[in-house]
Amino acid sequence: MALSRRTGRSRLTIALLILTSITVLTLDFRDSAVVSGAREVAATVFSPLRGVAETVTDPFANAWNGVTEYDDLEAENERLRAELDEIEGERVRDADAAEQLEVLLEQLEIEWVGDIPTATARVIAGPGSNFSRAIEIDKGTDHGLKEGMPVITGAGLVGKLVQVTAERSHVMLITDPDFAVGVRLVESGVTGTAEGTGEGEPLIVDTGLEQGSEVEEGAALTTSGSDRSAFPGFIPVGRVTGTQPGSGGLTVDLVVEPLAETSKLAFVTILLWEPGG
Amino acid sequence: MTPAGPFVVAARVSLVLAVALVLQLSVAARLELFGVQGDLMLLVAVMAGLAAGPDRGASVGFAAGIAFDLLLQSPFGLSALTYVIVAYVIGSLQDTVLRAAWWIPVVTAVIGSTVGVILYGVFGTIVGQDLLHPSLLKVAVVVAVLNALAAPLVLRVVRWATDTAGSVRARAIMR
Repeated sequence: MALSRRTGRSRLTIALLILTSITVLTLDFRDSAVVSGAREVAATVFSPLRGVAETVTDPFANAWNGVTEYDDLEAENERLRAELDEIEGERVRDADAAEQLEVLLEQLEIEWVGDIPTATARVIAGPGSNFSRAIEIDKGTDHGLKEGMPVITGAGLVGKLVQVTAERSHVMLITDPDFAVGVRLVESGVTGTAEGTGEGEPLIVDTGLEQGSEVEEGAALTTSGSDRSAFPGFIPVGRVTGTQPGSGGLTVDLVVEPLAETSKLAFVTILLWEPGG
Repeated sequence: MTPAGPFVVAARVSLVLAVALVLQLSVAARLELFGVQGDLMLLVAVMAGLAAGPDRGASVGFAAGIAFDLLLQSPFGLSALTYVIVAYVIGSLQDTVLRAAWWIPVVTAVIGSTVGVILYGVFGTIVGQDLLHPSLLKVAVVVAVLNALAAPLVLRVVRWATDTAGSVRARAIMR
């Protein structure tokens, strides 16, 4: 008797808790102000605590990473040296091309990315769990940051700001399945929408190109910067690594490797740019 | 020893969750193994099921999940849903385990963590997160290993918080 009453009560508890979880999930789906408000409060309260805990545990974290990632770091170091040499050469050519482009764009009255004011921020926390893809940076509204602003590195587009508090912000990465950006193939001018498919996975660009169209492997893509785009134009996004049949089978989708490495970011640049601004 | 009142238990659990959250976000998030981090909040939920049974366990799991969801950019309520179910199942199984031994918390952590990660992947995919990649298995295995290492310590803390340290089963396990 006592046992069955106990089982009944715990069934009721679990049913209530599951229902509550599902209810808040649906609230979040409708972008409820309550949820985003609660998240902002939680982030503001926990940020200083995290900061202290991180400072205290820094030496341990560094030691651990040194032990578990030493081989990777060595290989990466060598690769980076080789790449740096190559880039040195490209830089000279690019500087010349950029100057020519700037002159042309000025004549066409198109905004050049190089002219947009920027802010540099340090990445203070990677994703807090194995499934959250947002990273946290140490600048916020106090430094002029606003939700939706593009985040880049020297290599290209990294993501956009999604939750901005006074001194910290979250960045939704370009690889997030919720991320979408209008892009243009640099050489052919074909436009499309690039969407993330997960950390470490390529972007998929829905182009509207007909089945059988040839797209050169390695072709570069930049943001399209069209009228209502959430991003300014000419930010490098990625390179084409292949094609696949699009949904419906009539078009081809491009498989694109992002230029910016999103898994190990230390510093990022925020373009202080707003759509229509 | 007189049992702690419900408010004392709630206060202790809140304290433990807050500390676990800070440790998860600032420490566990940076102690990666093969690119995967341990999941301390899931471990607290699993250990709460083991220590306090299905009822209280599920409640602690819910609180742990909601707190974690608040600080992540993932769907709000997804961790809560997962942790409630895992803590409840572990709590129910705990009733049927007859032998008490030192390895029980460790094995429980392995099973609970693996199930928790996979369940999160399934629920996440249902709400449109696209998490069912082969890498989910890697995450499950590494989280299970890291959580198993931390299990004995976390169990002690959770027992203190839920005021179940004095129970007969607890004494048997802790011996």
